[in-house]
Parts: sequence; C-alpha cells; structure tokens
Amino acid sequence: MTASTEDTRTAPAGTSGKPLADVLGGAAADDGHLRTPWTVLEDYQCFGCSPHNAHGLRLRFRERPDGISTTFQLGPTHESYPGVVHGGLLGVICDETMGNLIVLRVGQPAFTTAMRVRFLAPVLVGAVHECRARIIPGADGSTLINTEADVVDAAGTVVATARATYRPVALEAARDRIQISDDAAGRLARVLAATADATGRPLADQPVGDEPRGGQLPNVPASEES
Amino acid sequence: MSTTAAESVLSTITGIVAAELATAPGTIDPDLDLRSVAGADSVKVLRMIARIERAYDIELDDETVFTVTTVREVTEVVERALAEGAAA
Repeated sequence: MTASTEDTRTAPAGTSGKPLADVLGGAAADDGHLRTPWTVLEDYQCFGCSPHNAHGLRLRFRERPDGISTTFQLGPTHESYPGVVHGGLLGVICDETMGNLIVLRVGQPAFTTAMRVRFLAPVLVGAVHECRARIIPGADGSTLINTEADVVDAAGTVVATARATYRPVALEAARDRIQISDDAAGRLARVLAATADATGRPLADQPVGDEPRGGQLPNVPASEES
Repeated sequence: MSTTAAESVLSTITGIVAAELATAPGTIDPDLDLRSVAGADSVKVLRMIARIERAYDIELDDETVFTVTTVREVTEVVERALAEGAAA
C-alpha cells in the first residue's frame, strides 16, 4: 500500500456542508487523509484500514466532492493470476471505502448487507488505482443506505464497479456484534457522536448523498480504452 | 411498458453504447450485432452493461449479459428488469 499522491480535497462532505476533516476534530489526519473514528482505538485491526495490521491493506481516505476515495497499489502478495490483483481484494477495497463513507456521514457503524462487484478489466500488480465511493440517494425513512464505487486506473479508466447496501446501527446496539471494551466503546461513541452532530439530523431525516444520482460511469475517451 | 417508455429506454441505451464506442448515436443500428462492430470488445460491452445497470439502478444476470448481441436485445432485457422491479 502506498500513500496517495493526489491533492487534498476540501469539498463539503456532510449534509451540514462541513468538511469531514472538521467533523473529526479538525483532523484531516496526516497529509490530508481523513481520520476515521476507528483511530481512537489504539490497536484496531481492520484488514482494510487499520495502520496497525501488518497483513492488512492500510487504506487511507480522502474527501471528494461526492464522497471519499482511497488510492492503492497492491503488490505480488495480493495477486491471483501472476501479475493480476486478486479480485476479491477489490471487493474489500470497495466495501471498505463505501462503508467508511457511511460511517463518516451518519456517525454510526454500518454493516454490509449485500454487495455486487463488476470486474471490467484486470487490475495489475504494482499499478496505482483509486477507489471512489458515493452514496446513492434513497427513499425517505429507509434504514438502509445504498452506495456505489468505481475503481479507476491512473488514466481514469473504470476497471471495476461496485454497488452495496448497508445498514447503519447505533454503536450501543452494535455492541453485541463486535468485540470492544467499555472504555474503547466510550471513546468511539464520543467521536461517532461528533460525526453525527456535524451532520445535524437523525439518519432517518438525512438525505443521503449530496448530489442527484448521475446514473453514469465516468466518461472515458476512446483513446484511453484498454 | 408503454411504447414511449420503451423508446426512451432504447434511446438511452443507444446513447450509452454510442458513447462507449465513441460514435454518434445515429450510427447505431438497434439490430446490429455488437460483436461485429470494430472495437466493441468484451471489455467495452461490460462497460456498457455497467453503465446501463447504473443508469436504471438494476442488476442484470451475467447469463443474460453474455448472450445478448444487439442494442434491441439489451433494451428488451432492461425493460424486463424494470418491469420485474416495478412488480416487486
């Protein structure tokens, strides 16, 4: 995993219009990457985003105008066919990016209930790619949130797409599904609450997604086609 | 699905296919076998399908995706998916 080389983005992310960095205690963490709520847990081991998991992907996220993104570059230990990144890991990366987007939006842990990935072209070992996730505006009052993600290569060509559904669950209600100490839960609850406060309204009242759904993948000039 | 709605689906899909093939929608014959179009490789066809799925918020079965050959057939598949979604 390597750090992203893109510029820091500071566009509004929450429904309040506050950048996520401000939501999380002024913590655009290191070099413009977002600090997720999980960072208050000293030794969290998330395979996708923990900096403490030596076997994990160590993803870091940046704000985008319509969501968040992560830049990744996987090595041969993550391949399936020689030189090709294992497709399942693309699912992990999409899930991780979409899931953290929801956590940052609504201030609650979100459990994946379904996900589908379309693999459009191989992702090569050593190549830099970016996963961009956004929330699909849904029906008012729904307790589920639909999201979509694109994995693009350095030229901006979409190589995989994902769509998933998540169920946000209040941390207290989620305690029976995750293993966490009372002390850690307290710290996590405070930072999640700060995130929720910044978005201003209960989940059921929030229009998820800041923009109308485009219904299109990014347009790719024919010259960039593989 | 009404004739107007069906025409709208056909028009939208034709636009997506044309965009993917970097050509004008008017040049796309709905009954043309896409596999015979220069540059329309399997990757581009999958990109078309991904765009269509996103445009209509549907998921098409791969069994179907890999058997349709023309824009009109794709349109019929999408119409069925939309009808099934409306009935659900």
